[in-house]
Amino acid sequence: MGENKSNVPVRDLTIKQGFKLSKFLVSWEMVLVYILLLINVVLIVAKPNLYFSNGTIQSIIQSGMDVCPLVLGMILILMLGDIDVSAASTMIFASMVTGLCCDTGMPVIIAVLAGILAGALCGAFNGFFVAYVEMPAVIVTIATQMLFRGIVKIILDVNVLKNFPSFYVSIAWMNFLGIPVALLVFLVMAAGFVFLLQKSKFGRSLYIIGNNPTCAQYSGINVKKTKLTVFIIMGAMAGVASIFFVGRMGGSVSSTMGTGYEMTAIAICVLGGVSTNGGKGKVYGPVIATLIMAFLTYTLGLLEVDANSRKIVTGFILIIAVLIPSINRQLLANLKLKFIYKGNKNVEALNIKTAAEVKALKTEIDDVKKDGKLSAADKDAKVKKAEEKIASLQKKCKEQTQIWLKEQAEDEKRAKERFNKK
Amino acid sequence: MFRKKRKERGHKMSDYILELKDVVKTFGGVTALGGVHFQLKKGEIHALMGENGAGKSTFIKVITGVHQPDSGLMLLEGEKVTPRSTEDSAKLGIAAIYQHVTAFPDLSVTENIFMGQEIKNKFGLYNWKLMNQRAKELIEPLSKNIDVNKPMSSLSVAQQQLVEIAKALSRDARILIMDEPTASLSKKECEELYQIAEHLRDEGVSIILITHRFEDMYRLATRVTVFRDSRYVGCWDVDKISNEELIKHMVGRELTAMYPEKTAKIGDVVFKVNDISKEGLFKNVSFDVRKGEILALTGLVGAGRTEVCQNLFGVLNPDSGYFELEGQKINIKNPGVALNAGIGLLPEDRQKQGLINELPIYQNVSSANMKKFVKGGALSEKDEIDTAIELCQKIQLKANDIAAPPSSLSGGNQQKVVFAKLLNRDLKVLILDEPTKGIDVGAKYSIYEIMNELASNGYAIIMVSSEMPEVLGMADRIVVMRNGRVATIMENKNITQEMILEYSLQSADGREN
Amino acid sequence: METKNKSFISKMTESRNFGLILGLIVLLIMAKILTPSLYSFNSIVSMLQNNAVFGLLAIGEMMIILTGGIDISIGSTLSLTGVVCCRLMAENPNVPAIVWVLLALLIGAVCGAFNGLIVGYFKMVPMIATLGTMYIFRGFSFLFSGGQWWFPHQFTEGYQAFATLRILKIPAILWIVLIVFILAALFLGYTSKGRRIYAIGTNKESSKIAGIKEARVVFLAMLICGMLAGLAGMLYTANYATCSYSIGESYEMTAIAICILGGVSINGGRGKVDGVFIGFIMMSFITYFISLLPGLSVWSDAIQGAIIIAAVVLNIFTERSAAKRALKERGALI
Repeated sequence: MGENKSNVPVRDLTIKQGFKLSKFLVSWEMVLVYILLLINVVLIVAKPNLYFSNGTIQSIIQSGMDVCPLVLGMILILMLGDIDVSAASTMIFASMVTGLCCDTGMPVIIAVLAGILAGALCGAFNGFFVAYVEMPAVIVTIATQMLFRGIVKIILDVNVLKNFPSFYVSIAWMNFLGIPVALLVFLVMAAGFVFLLQKSKFGRSLYIIGNNPTCAQYSGINVKKTKLTVFIIMGAMAGVASIFFVGRMGGSVSSTMGTGYEMTAIAICVLGGVSTNGGKGKVYGPVIATLIMAFLTYTLGLLEVDANSRKIVTGFILIIAVLIPSINRQLLANLKLKFIYKGNKNVEALNIKTAAEVKALKTEIDDVKKDGKLSAADKDAKVKKAEEKIASLQKKCKEQTQIWLKEQAEDEKRAKERFNKK
Repeated sequence: MFRKKRKERGHKMSDYILELKDVVKTFGGVTALGGVHFQLKKGEIHALMGENGAGKSTFIKVITGVHQPDSGLMLLEGEKVTPRSTEDSAKLGIAAIYQHVTAFPDLSVTENIFMGQEIKNKFGLYNWKLMNQRAKELIEPLSKNIDVNKPMSSLSVAQQQLVEIAKALSRDARILIMDEPTASLSKKECEELYQIAEHLRDEGVSIILITHRFEDMYRLATRVTVFRDSRYVGCWDVDKISNEELIKHMVGRELTAMYPEKTAKIGDVVFKVNDISKEGLFKNVSFDVRKGEILALTGLVGAGRTEVCQNLFGVLNPDSGYFELEGQKINIKNPGVALNAGIGLLPEDRQKQGLINELPIYQNVSSANMKKFVKGGALSEKDEIDTAIELCQKIQLKANDIAAPPSSLSGGNQQKVVFAKLLNRDLKVLILDEPTKGIDVGAKYSIYEIMNELASNGYAIIMVSSEMPEVLGMADRIVVMRNGRVATIMENKNITQEMILEYSLQSADGREN
Repeated sequence: METKNKSFISKMTESRNFGLILGLIVLLIMAKILTPSLYSFNSIVSMLQNNAVFGLLAIGEMMIILTGGIDISIGSTLSLTGVVCCRLMAENPNVPAIVWVLLALLIGAVCGAFNGLIVGYFKMVPMIATLGTMYIFRGFSFLFSGGQWWFPHQFTEGYQAFATLRILKIPAILWIVLIVFILAALFLGYTSKGRRIYAIGTNKESSKIAGIKEARVVFLAMLICGMLAGLAGMLYTANYATCSYSIGESYEMTAIAICILGGVSINGGRGKVDGVFIGFIMMSFITYFISLLPGLSVWSDAIQGAIIIAAVVLNIFTERSAAKRALKERGALI
């Protein structure tokens, strides 16, 4: 206790683990890349003529881009551990504002900005109730989903707005140097979001809030303001999405269009590795997932699966993508506890401890084997010693486990008898 | 009056209704119980005492089946038992009433009492009428003014405790564990509780009374067992042991050796708290803290210390009163304002309030001062890492590397990460809420060293602590809080634990009301 | 003892039903002025008949909200059962109609069980899980319907009777809704399974200590909700004698609105069947009211959204003022 300071060596705290290729290759983002490649291979094998014909890949990509701004916005929302199901309604609302502005003959730039601003206002409305009234985001956005679309219905009734700037259609359908314009815009925006989420102070505070909102507050982060900002960004992105969407629809919009886009956006984010509990995920994953979704939808279309049935696939992707990470350790540990260790936490702890010790010994053996300075005899002796230790540890663990489980069974039997007597 | 059956229950075999021998429990290498003994006679009130972290709560969890011991025996009326859940222990007739009542706040008193053993009619439906009537019968001897139809959340803490007692009685509990039952009760309520406990004892219920208050022990218990540092110290008859001896057994070591010498010079007043009040939490709290000074804020758990700190840091805002920082009136709206002004808080609950376990250490360290690392709009990760390494080396953090998650560290080192996070800012006032809670003895010393060094560097430190030796060992001045008010402020000269204790408890003049 | 001193207003804010009934009366008076024909027995019955399925959906949704969750897949469950029952009924007109009721309950139970499995046992966020199943069930509904519509001439009499047969001048569907409300009140108020739903909603930690298995309770709530949605699907098609895969879209929103209007706390653990019943009646009047006025029908979505927000804000402020009062009473200690 109480070491003298000068005697204590300064501890080396620099980061030891650098880039590891083996780890990188199995990271979630890379898995997504493999999936994307797999879908492409399937397409090539199934329809080689179509795949290599001119413009196919471009049109596949274009078909999936209308949802991309919503995906980017949704990443931030999910990062907070919240959700926004009003995104599609906001998008339609923004489209309507732009369309109405164009109808009155306003300059294009003002009409577009008005649309994005309208989206941001919708987002601010959501954000106010979530952050400052402290209502759950689920309920707020369920209500505003109806409210925003309801307002569109009131204003448009059954009319269709057809007067939109011409560049809307260009963005959705044109290529630039053989690359879809929509993809270029998407990648530029995604780069912006990579900076915003992964490099900026704002992004870091989102990770902190998503993981531990109380700690964020104690760290001097203004949680409410940050939440409001995120919802405003989401709304503005829905406004941007209206450009892609209306363009995709060939420059027209009505009140019933675009239902289900929020679900696709959420599914893409989740598939991209963004946790629905908040605080986990990066921008790259959803970007790749957007492309996967585009190729998948297109492939299903080729297989003559209609739009409504494709929703089944989207739904399952959403559920499976959420379940995969939750199935891993915790669930396995629980199942193991229940079935192998018979619910006995002591046995579980012992087995885990023994496994860790065995693992440490095994790495030690490996180290010894690699060590060039030791003679062969020394090596063998050391390895043998470690192996013996492993065996004895495992034996001890097994015996103790059996003793404990037997005890438990006896206890249960006795307890049963006791209660039966009463 | 309560249950007649209990008295008829057989007198067989051993003298002790509950006996524990050599109970050992470890959590991943940390010893929580190192071979403790305990013997409870039938119809006895047995006090269990010890400092915070002495192993009392783990011990209770073993008895109630929340944890299973690694080794050792638990005998109930001479027969070996191993409860594996709270249900098991309830069936064995063991019930615990916790300090923080664990109830269903939205459900009625009746339902809370009968949760899990409801009375049903012949159709299998709840018989609310009978349950309400039975609940009334159980509650009435304990308190006249609890309406069994009201939701639990509408009751005071004392009333909720009575409901828990009624619940235990409804289950025919033979052994009742009371965990600091009087901690947040008024004098009158305490007296009522004493009478109830005595009455239960006369009915044949054996009671384990965990308490920090000697008054409780003298008034109720016949014997007292003391734990210290997860170990069994001894068991004495209450009338054969003096206060001083008992404290010596609880503390068990010389105070001076535990704490580093303090060298800081005390300067002018930095921060002043003027008459702040907050409805339902505390009233008319005033004190000040000087440069280089360690001011201890002590008192019983629930006296309002943590809440005061939260107000100083802007997590909560007082209803009335104001703060002065270096002579300037300051409105601490939220923690951001507090940090900018130079006030930092090391929160009580490390896991929930202090750390982000999913992020690497260096991001934790920079989280309270991200502005500092912004370069050209982006956070400079290199700067973050360099600063974090420098700070962490200064406080001798033991970690693999700076990118490890805090969850991989021991309690003491986790606390150091939170310290580093605060040191990353230029602060004048540092509020430390239970800085050594849940930290083992060796690591405590290095936390104390850090505190002393900070004081020497001119920080004004407010330390909240429940551990009296720590308060006496570290503080320059001591503020004792009692029931939401400042009981006294005294210089730490010739002060004894008993004096603090006396101020913490209500003195002869009693509590207000 | 202190209840006597409470002001009328504070009493009113505490009694949610009182406020609801007051609102209902205001609504009725307004409707009376605007459309004098409202108060004929037949028009009230037909109004309730057309909204009856919302009663069933709201009861199911209520159980899930009580556990602290949410289910937005019930509209799709309704559609799936409606389509399956209609198609099989049209293909096999000679099978007794009660079979379709049982089938509807079964399909609903399967849907609910799936939700319950992923939410209860796999701990998925309820909103995300049911968002997924909402599209899955709807997709299956479309697959099974093949995009087809069913019209009155394809419906057997026995099938329709479950909704429209008048017993004591009141259609069967309303009797069924009434019975479901009574059963729900008994279940939630008087059985241990029902009370467990409240228990895990009010305090998950205490529930664990009390040995309540959270996953099992959530599963049960979702199962019941699914069954009720299934029943609603069958009755809906029987009532209107038309069906397509697009029925029941955004019905979950109305169900949620009814629950919140009826005083069910969105944080779980608080809410009563009688409150939901009054909420159901009130919502029926609102929809009816909207449909009566020409040009107002496009307003229905917006109005419903606004109602949800207003009702939640009201709920939150009532809860907060109650908490504040409790703190004040405790503050007397100091």
